[in-house]
Amino acid sequence: MSDADNDLVVFPGAFDLDVALQADSNLTLQAELHQQKKPFVILDDHDQSLRNSGCLLIESGNRLQLLQPDQVWVSQAGKGYGKFVNELPDGPVRDSLAGFPPLRALTEIGRGIIETGSLAALDELQKTVVRGSFVVLRSDAGQVSLASIQRLRGYDRAFETVKGSLRSMAGPHHGLETVFGALFPNVEQYQAKPTIHFGKLEPASEAATEIIRTFIAVARKNEAGVIADIDTEFLHDYRVSLRRVRSVLSLFKGVFSDQETAELKRIFSDLMSPTGRLRDLDVYLLERESYFKLVPPSLHAGLGKMFDQFETERAREQKKLSRRFRSASYDQSMKELAAQFDDPTRLEFGQNADLGAYKYACSLIWKRYRKVCKLARSIDPETPDEAVHELRIHCKKLRYLMEFFAQLFDAKAFKTIIKPLKRLQDNLGAFNDCSVQQDALLAFAVQQSSSSGQVDANLGLSVGGLIAILNQRQQAERERVVSNFQHFDSPDIRELFRILFQTPGD
Amino acid sequence: MKIIACYSNKGGVGKTATSVNLAYACAQAGMRVLLCDLDPQGASGFYLRVKPSKKLTEARFFEDVKRFTKSIRASDFKNLDVLPANMTYRDFDVFLSRMRNKRSRLKKALKSVGGDYDVIVLDCPPNFSTLSENIFKAADTIVVPVIPSTLSERTFDQLVGFFDEHKLPKKKLRAFFSMVQRRKKLHVETIAAMRKQYRKRFMSTSIPFSADIERMGLYRAPVVTYASRSVAGLAYRELFKELKKGLDSKR
Ligand SMILES: Nc1ncnc2c1ncn2[C@@H]1O[C@H](COP(=O)(O)OP(=O)(O)OP(=O)(O)O)[C@@H](O)[C@H]1O
Ligand SMILES: [Mg+2]
Repeated sequence: MSDADNDLVVFPGAFDLDVALQADSNLTLQAELHQQKKPFVILDDHDQSLRNSGCLLIESGNRLQLLQPDQVWVSQAGKGYGKFVNELPDGPVRDSLAGFPPLRALTEIGRGIIETGSLAALDELQKTVVRGSFVVLRSDAGQVSLASIQRLRGYDRAFETVKGSLRSMAGPHHGLETVFGALFPNVEQYQAKPTIHFGKLEPASEAATEIIRTFIAVARKNEAGVIADIDTEFLHDYRVSLRRVRSVLSLFKGVFSDQETAELKRIFSDLMSPTGRLRDLDVYLLERESYFKLVPPSLHAGLGKMFDQFETERAREQKKLSRRFRSASYDQSMKELAAQFDDPTRLEFGQNADLGAYKYACSLIWKRYRKVCKLARSIDPETPDEAVHELRIHCKKLRYLMEFFAQLFDAKAFKTIIKPLKRLQDNLGAFNDCSVQQDALLAFAVQQSSSSGQVDANLGLSVGGLIAILNQRQQAERERVVSNFQHFDSPDIRELFRILFQTPGD
Repeated sequence: MKIIACYSNKGGVGKTATSVNLAYACAQAGMRVLLCDLDPQGASGFYLRVKPSKKLTEARFFEDVKRFTKSIRASDFKNLDVLPANMTYRDFDVFLSRMRNKRSRLKKALKSVGGDYDVIVLDCPPNFSTLSENIFKAADTIVVPVIPSTLSERTFDQLVGFFDEHKLPKKKLRAFFSMVQRRKKLHVETIAAMRKQYRKRFMSTSIPFSADIERMGLYRAPVVTYASRSVAGLAYRELFKELKKGLDSKR
């Protein structure tokens, strides 16, 4: 069978049982309602990973139904709201969601009322020649019907007839976007890294304001998820957005006046600081399983104690931050900040404000690239760890700069550069994580010790064991840095950097 | 893959009724089943509402595997497909040997369209003499309905005689009493006598004479789908179980 064996037709409105089949066909279409009106919710993560990959996940009652990109429905018992995919009960829906982001939980995109039923096209012998099902979804905004039909072996012509009839009845409505458009027209698509629009000749000041404005908005879109404590990625995205703003402030030298830069830096650093501890605790808790795997079972008791304490402290921190996010004063100050970047007359600019964005981008990226190379080439086994940490920071700044200005450059060339850069960054990130975690474990042990410096034996042993292993890992990561940099420092990539960013004056 | 042939050297004994209900029972048990209607009248196709497909010219039929796979039809029941009557005996002979050969293009083609059948049920037409011997060789099991009457006794003797003569494995023969009427003295006596004479050839399950089975022509569906708790429905289910046990133990 050459064509698809399934077809999905989406049409606005209720499912009309009087589908007019092609005049010359002797088929009759029968629809049978199986499930009367029941509430449903559409589930997805904050990034709408399912929607973006052409899937639709419906929870109604104790049932999960997933429409897959190949237009085939699978369903299983269970509820999904607030769960991670690996927390779903075993079943075909869970199996189909194997590629879903592991750190993201399912949350509600919208809700309404659902009706489901079966479809069958019968020939004159009352033999079923096409099988199918339909789903009618209603929300406050509208309703939409999904009919899916399935080709039965040996009945290709009937399948084509029914498919043609359904499609002509549906008109030009195709795919899942019709479903979202009809039911939830006001649900926005969240993007953690939206494309920022400005032209090559626009002044650097406008590029900077645009970037900052964009990321303030992205940060704000994550507040509700932090308050509801859906998954750890909300806070992570919130912090990354603010970090991007801060890097604009520190990298775009001379775009804002010195005084304005200092003032803004203070404001954004004040926004970041109440989130730090919660993020640290999230990271530790996400690592829980891997920590347990690192040390022998004899040391598990101490680890258990440590994670219990982290858990308690995390609950406290989460409550605190959630209270902050809900407060009127926080909302007020965020609105104020956003308004300031909406209206550039309220900002004080510096001597570089009027440089063209493209030229400015080239010089910033080129300079940062040179710094990365200079530092990386100096690293050998004797170099102190500090240099490796510094390299990580430079790489990160380089990456941010490239991302901010990506739309001004050739996308393919950027992809070629980013790939080895990302590999190097992952390596440096792992190196840094090991180091940060050792410090944190040590601090934890100190905090747990009595005034005379005594620590609970179990705890001390576990923490000691972990630190030893993390230190080994850190060294192993460090050893990989040189080769990963060499990969990034290939003649091809060097050439690309020169072509893209080096300007005659440099 | 197993091939089950419903065969009798006598007409009107219940071969088609058995093929359809057995094939359905296999499918219900989760096996993927292809029911081949070998009767040019399209008897089992009729019961499953599958129209006989257009006669395909012999020569091109097996040149083009696709044309063969295309003539298979899904039934209204899960796991049960039907090959409507359309083959000449010679075609059918080729078909059987290719189905037996795991590496044949036909098998591969079927596999690629999800037709990796666990069981093939053959509804043999009456007077199916030309190919009988090939069927006996190809099938794993030959299910023989026997109406307990004097005439049937004689035809069954002939069948067993044929197996002896041609040194065919008699173990394949799994007969059962069909259209049994307990009230008829002749039936009861014939059953007792034949069970004694052919102790190993007869299955213990019998299919009673039943109005529910006659009604298959009306409903055009397997018995249990419209008379789920009927004696006849239960009897076919038992027959399936007994057959399956035999097939499983052979492996
Ligand atoms: N157990 C039964 N009780 C009552 N009627 C039956 C029973 N089995 C079959 N019949 C009826 O007897 C007739 C012949 O049955 P069937 O067609 O199954 O036999 P057959 O062996 O396939 O015949 P043929 O040799 O013509 O292919 C049909 O009308 C069928 O409905
Ligand atoms: Mg027959």
